[in-house]
Amino acid sequence: MSLTTTPEHHVPDDGAPTGPTTPPSRPPARQAAREMDNPHQARAVKDILARIVMWSAFALAMVPLVWILWTVASQGVHMLTEATWWTGNQRNINSDDAGGGARHAIEGTLIQAGMTALISIPIGILTAVYLVEYGRGRLAKAISFMVDILSGVPSIVAALFIYAVWVTTFGIDRSGFAVSLSLVLLMIPTIVRSTEEMLKLVPNELREASYALGVPKWVTVVRIVLRTAFSGIVTGILLGLARVMGETAPLLILGPYTKNFQRDLFDGNMATLPTMINQDRGDFALVTAAERMWGAALTLIILVLLLNILGRVVAHYGSVKK
Amino acid sequence: MSVSRVSAIGALALTGALALSACASENPAPAGNTAGAGGTAAVNADCFEGDLKAEGSSAQKNAIDEAISAYQTACGDANIDYQPSGSGAGIKQFIAKQVDFAGSDSALKTEEKDGIIESEEAKNSCGSDAWNLPMVTGPVAIAYNVEGVDKLVLNADVAAKIFNGEITTWDDAAIAELNKDVKLPSTPIKVYFRSDESGTTENFTKYLKAAAPEAWPHETGKKWTGKGEGKEKSAGVATATQGQDGAITYVEWSYAQQNQLAMAAIDSGSGPVELTAESAGKTVATAQQVGTGNDLALKIDYATKEEGAYPIVLVTYEIVCSKYADAETGKKVKSFLKSFASDEVQGSLTTQGYAPLPAEVATKVKAAIDAIS
Repeated sequence: MSLTTTPEHHVPDDGAPTGPTTPPSRPPARQAAREMDNPHQARAVKDILARIVMWSAFALAMVPLVWILWTVASQGVHMLTEATWWTGNQRNINSDDAGGGARHAIEGTLIQAGMTALISIPIGILTAVYLVEYGRGRLAKAISFMVDILSGVPSIVAALFIYAVWVTTFGIDRSGFAVSLSLVLLMIPTIVRSTEEMLKLVPNELREASYALGVPKWVTVVRIVLRTAFSGIVTGILLGLARVMGETAPLLILGPYTKNFQRDLFDGNMATLPTMINQDRGDFALVTAAERMWGAALTLIILVLLLNILGRVVAHYGSVKK
Repeated sequence: MSVSRVSAIGALALTGALALSACASENPAPAGNTAGAGGTAAVNADCFEGDLKAEGSSAQKNAIDEAISAYQTACGDANIDYQPSGSGAGIKQFIAKQVDFAGSDSALKTEEKDGIIESEEAKNSCGSDAWNLPMVTGPVAIAYNVEGVDKLVLNADVAAKIFNGEITTWDDAAIAELNKDVKLPSTPIKVYFRSDESGTTENFTKYLKAAAPEAWPHETGKKWTGKGEGKEKSAGVATATQGQDGAITYVEWSYAQQNQLAMAAIDSGSGPVELTAESAGKTVATAQQVGTGNDLALKIDYATKEEGAYPIVLVTYEIVCSKYADAETGKKVKSFLKSFASDEVQGSLTTQGYAPLPAEVATKVKAAIDAIS
């Protein structure tokens, strides 16, 4: 702005129709108008350049996304249109037999995700409440630091940790519950962080108003703060859940695949969509196995997508009305 | 200021439903689509109910899948899982008591390696001797893809030189010598090998080392030490060979068949031998038993000169406890392996690219299975 101030000042001074007493002022005014074009042009060029860069960056980012979605969808969609895909399992279907169902894997993924949510949601939310509403001093700092570290732990490390505790130390069999435990390690930090952000967004005036009415602190937290932040917290949880559902490393280490229905988290092998993909990947040279692999991949994407959409819907309809 | 309760409750209900479905295990599990498998061998088995877990070699995956389908078709309440995660992983999980038996392309090692003696560890874990039971013969094919060549003869020496990078074109004099009536093109040879650690690589290099010690100076082992380009898993080398003119690789017979690859005949001194169930079985029949009693670990004579014997074979074992701490598990293992070793199931494996066990080995295996408790 400051660059263009000088010529602009001339305009009201010289170009203004102050009367016939100032005829020699015309040429400078025209000159000023000509000078004004240049910065405008420069801005227009910059604007167009920025637009081009922005749009091409956007297009570039979309290429792999669209490509992946298109490949998976086009290769896998015809498996999903078969009714047996949603009702059957892979029992007695060898890799060179076509078809079969994915119900056992869908159930396994949902059951393990459910158990993960059941454990990590209370821990995560209560930790966040402590950090935002109560925590002061060293303990809060230490917890916050630990959450940061935990959120940086790669999934394979979480899986190996649970393997070391669960299998090596206690000698318990690998099971769906062990998978859930390692997913809990991955999910807690995401819940703590997202809930913390949501709680911080709750205006302090609300808390103060509540205190002014003589409401105890814990009731304020439960009835005012958590209620106000509710939709944001649920969205965070659903997005976190969608993320851990696609995790593979813990499943490969702790959750052996089975072709049969298995709904018991504590005993026996349990199928999940990622391990089903992995199983059929070993035989991708066979059309039958490759088709199942794409089908399972598409099913997993759809499940995660549904959770994401649900998160958006909750965020939209569940927010506090002003 | 009011919260939209309906959607709030809805969202809570969904998270709850996800969580609660974890407790829904009282639903009776459907008996599975038992009618789904076609063409599996009929089995007469004393069925067990419940789960049986196994893990190990991917070379025997197609065979054991076939055996599992046959068993589960006869026994609707039995669930048998096999994870094809590799021989090494299978043995580790067996020692860690995570699986009831392991599949392995090589018998438990009796000498120390990496600080542990596998057979001792397995013995400690079982509380009794661990046995190696040969179950399937998986011949290894030298598969190739050369335009216009549908018949090829190799011997150990030439094969070693090809996989060594010494012979680089298909019209090399050494290859032409063995294939006088074949017109060989001047296409460069492209070698594909297994980039992952594999029992197939181990057995193939053992063959090269035994049958052509001068042409193959490298170590034998699960990791490839020759030349070429690495591809992951059997499916990887098979598809790579299929898509490249001039390509050659070593791969299990079953994968070569599935991918319709041409396979070289091997001349060990008494004329070219095609890869068939019988020719591979002959080599296994000449193998020596190195285990004692019911431990049937075999030592294959890769340098065999026996007429009509195809020398590159891989014997895959099931590694079991001789006496299971849990008698119930012992019964399950015994029941399934009995069906696996039965003539009906063994006979059906040829269509999958495996050779059945030679009669004398099969008899010993059956006797050993009977002794499991």
